[in-house]
Amino acid sequence: MDSMYDFSTLGWVRHVVFHPTEGFEDLRWKKQGSLKLSFVIVLMLFIAMVAQNRMVGYAYNTNTVKIFNVVPLVVQSVVYFATWVIGNWCICTLLDGEGTLKKICIYSAYALVPYIICTYIAVILSNFIILDESIWYYAFSYLGMGWSVVLMISAMKAVHQYTMPKTLVSILLTLIAMLLILFLAILLLSLFQQVYVFVYTIYTEILYRVRG
Amino acid sequence: MNGLKAYAKKLICLSMAACTALTMMSVTAFAEEPYEPYSYDNWDDAIPSQAGYTVDRTVSGMEMELDRLSDPADPLFYSEDASDSLNGARDFDVFEDSETWIADTGNSRIIVLDSNFKVKARYYGVTGTSSVEGIEQSADGKTSMFNEPYGLKITISPTTGKKTLYVADYSNSRVVRAEVASDTELILEQEYTKPEESLYTSKTFNPSKVQVDFAENVYVVVKSVNTGSVQFKADGSFTGFYGANRVEVTAKVVAQKLWRKIASNEQIAGMSRNVPVEYANFDMDKEGFIYTVTEVKTDTDAVKKINPAGYNIWDNVSGDEYTFGDNTAAQYDMTTKKSHSTKLTDIAVDDNGIMNILDYETGRVFQYDRLANLICIFGTTSSTADQRGSFTTPNAVETFGDTVMVLEGSKTRNDITIFKKTVFGENLHKAFEYYDEGLYLEAAPYWEEIVKRDGGYTYAHIGLGKADLKNGNYYSAMERFKIAHSRRNYDKAFEYYRDEWLQDHFTIIAVIIGVLVVVWLVRKIVKFNQARTYRLKHKG
Repeated sequence: MDSMYDFSTLGWVRHVVFHPTEGFEDLRWKKQGSLKLSFVIVLMLFIAMVAQNRMVGYAYNTNTVKIFNVVPLVVQSVVYFATWVIGNWCICTLLDGEGTLKKICIYSAYALVPYIICTYIAVILSNFIILDESIWYYAFSYLGMGWSVVLMISAMKAVHQYTMPKTLVSILLTLIAMLLILFLAILLLSLFQQVYVFVYTIYTEILYRVRG
Repeated sequence: MNGLKAYAKKLICLSMAACTALTMMSVTAFAEEPYEPYSYDNWDDAIPSQAGYTVDRTVSGMEMELDRLSDPADPLFYSEDASDSLNGARDFDVFEDSETWIADTGNSRIIVLDSNFKVKARYYGVTGTSSVEGIEQSADGKTSMFNEPYGLKITISPTTGKKTLYVADYSNSRVVRAEVASDTELILEQEYTKPEESLYTSKTFNPSKVQVDFAENVYVVVKSVNTGSVQFKADGSFTGFYGANRVEVTAKVVAQKLWRKIASNEQIAGMSRNVPVEYANFDMDKEGFIYTVTEVKTDTDAVKKINPAGYNIWDNVSGDEYTFGDNTAAQYDMTTKKSHSTKLTDIAVDDNGIMNILDYETGRVFQYDRLANLICIFGTTSSTADQRGSFTTPNAVETFGDTVMVLEGSKTRNDITIFKKTVFGENLHKAFEYYDEGLYLEAAPYWEEIVKRDGGYTYAHIGLGKADLKNGNYYSAMERFKIAHSRRNYDKAFEYYRDEWLQDHFTIIAVIIGVLVVVWLVRKIVKFNQARTYRLKHKG
């Protein structure tokens, strides 16, 4: 029986993905999970989003834009993930959660794997199917999304050792925390911009004075 | 922060470069128009295009020889001080592609031009006694004079078979139906005056435009009546209102509807009502459909095609599936460097169902095919110098054979501008004509000519794609639809292409699948055998 838990790093990902209820508990019990791999997964998430934007079959592509901008996609993948992790850590530290920042990062990333893989499958598939067969495309999209949501709940439950209601409440609070973080970040950004403009104005002013 | 700024800088540089490139392109292509011809792309952005029409000539009062009206020796003589130019003309109509009838509003007269745009007839009033009080009569008391005729309609009466003129006699508060007796005389047949019925609530009756259908029902656009055009029977009796606009659903309207639910009756009485905007003008095509345009900026019912029952053929739930005039997002005028709001003031539908819609604000004529696809845009407002093809107060648009005419009626300038088709426009019309009938192959050569002149013309690529589809060139059809950003059509082409590909490669696909199945089976059998030998060995 013991041999069952001798997984490679990728083997552990497979294990948690296909065992939604106890996969993350096993991961925690065995003190497994790689931070590096979680970063790779987030990178893959970003690439999946770009692929969904640019490489999806033409008939399926509703994002036919004149100028492609990658910044919103970075925000939607990397920045959202980072705020999720930080927000969750902030909330759950207050709610007696047992997860550390590192663990939350790893577990959350692992939970995203089905979504990423299903997105890739859907993108590839969309290049071979017509709009009448769109059921397959959307089936894969929603399957990945639903599966990841289930895994995410399970991951949060395992990492903090919560009961189910508490997990759901903590997730809700995390979403609110994310909003707060993003709001503050934007506020900070615009503030710094003004400071920068102020300093720059003074700099030019002095420059003109010096030049006479 | 620096990255963001650099990014913005790059974007600005890029867009400036693009703008320069675009401007240079269009300038070299067509320097003759006093404006830059443009069209709309898939994103509803204005993009430079080729001129579909170019100014053939302008005809002013002098070229019309209106001085004949003040020459005592001339049969058209009216009086010594008859004006030799038009004055604020509001409307005109073309009779059987040979005569142009102009409502010379400021001079209170009707002018008729022959096919060379020389004056042929003039009318200052109708012979017969008017039932309306206070109408100025001529010296001999037989003729009741016109007073600011705003609109007219010339047609052959289906009952009498005679040439019949309808005049919206604005300041006389009447619409006149008159038989054309001679070059100087009209005989009054019927007057249509303010309906004395409770349904008609407006205090005044100032008709500005008039139309007549095949059953001789008369439709009158009346100033400050927003319940549609006033409809009369041939005998002058009021039958009701026809084809009113709907109220545009804006946030304000929705909010007011909510307030009305909770407000008391006294409060409701104090609120302003949401009324639809009145339409400004209309025209009838040869099938008897009436097209209306609304001058006030609105997305709902800006242009309608209404059937005899009064329903909009282009009915759509949201009200903005069909768009006309300049797009709200792109009203920036490249010539005058100003933003505009669209004011559609007149519509002219020709025998092929091609619509010409005149925008009073920008002086542009928007031409649409019968399915409301934008064909081309031409004309502009005047810049400082008056140039041919530019207008300050364009009042009306008509089609005359192949040409499109715009009536300019300001204080300083009164003339008719005649636009003729360019080679590009010629090709556009041929292409759209075949395309709308579904004759994609016949349309293809014209589309190709169009693409040579304007590679960004969306419909050309769709048209060529459909021709490719019919020819069985599915892959090139896919490429075409990709250029045109038509996802639906692309999907259709792709479906055929995929079928064809699968049929062509059926053998190889079948072989690959077969090989895979065989390999899988062999592996299974080998494994099974291994397991059996293992078991046997351990048993033994």
